[in-house]
Amino acid sequence: MKRITYLFCTILTVSVVAAMIGWSMAAGNFLVPLLAIPLGVIVVLACRQNVKEKLEDERTCRIRSEAALRTLEVLVIAGAIATVILYSYVVSSPLSPSITGTVTSNADGTNSMTINLYKPGTPSLPENLIRSTTIRDINAMNESEAGEYCTFVRESYRENENRGLVGMTIGSTLVILIVTFGAFYLYYNRKY
Amino acid sequence: MKNRIRVLRAEREMTQEQLAELAGVTRNTIISMEKNKYSPSLKLGYRIAHVFGVGIDDVFTYEEAIDGPSGEDDS
Repeated sequence: MKRITYLFCTILTVSVVAAMIGWSMAAGNFLVPLLAIPLGVIVVLACRQNVKEKLEDERTCRIRSEAALRTLEVLVIAGAIATVILYSYVVSSPLSPSITGTVTSNADGTNSMTINLYKPGTPSLPENLIRSTTIRDINAMNESEAGEYCTFVRESYRENENRGLVGMTIGSTLVILIVTFGAFYLYYNRKY
Repeated sequence: MKNRIRVLRAEREMTQEQLAELAGVTRNTIISMEKNKYSPSLKLGYRIAHVFGVGIDDVFTYEEAIDGPSGEDDS
């Protein structure tokens, strides 16, 4: 078998296995991946054994290790920057939208409150207003008004919280990558 | 590290493919070595010398200016 045929067989096998896993997950049949994955591995290994050409040598191993190390370096630096930037949306005041509440005394003796949400880092002016809600009588707030108030506050910070969550996910992934790298580094350091 | 792989191969009318097979490497590795872009390991160096039936010094030449501590790192 030629190298190109082996690559074609590998891509085909991986595609079929991925499709079978996708279908089984959608259908709720969790037995299929348990059979499909080992079968796929066996097919790929069998194809590999039939390749007459040399698939890898010390130069390809060196290229691979250099490429892996550079990838790790780039990902760690870029990921760390992305984590800090994204998480700063959660902790930074200038990046958070500002919420103001204005209590107004009405003619009928009730006190209403208008809550305004302004764009992050801008003064509380009408042109910077994103949205606003009013509680007609803050002394007699009903259930739907309380719910509306809670939703208003939660929705105001949701975008920033989502960015922070993405940042935390990237940060956690980086930590896992670095720990895994460290473990393999120690292993090979002992081996050689 | 300079080498005479291309010359030794030509003397023996050997193709890159044949040398790669006998040395147990890919043809790309032979191409890289002939272009002096890749310095092989000691093990592979000896294997290539063995294929040609000569000593390792007849295949590879160490040059202080290029391969010495102050030379450019090829890693």
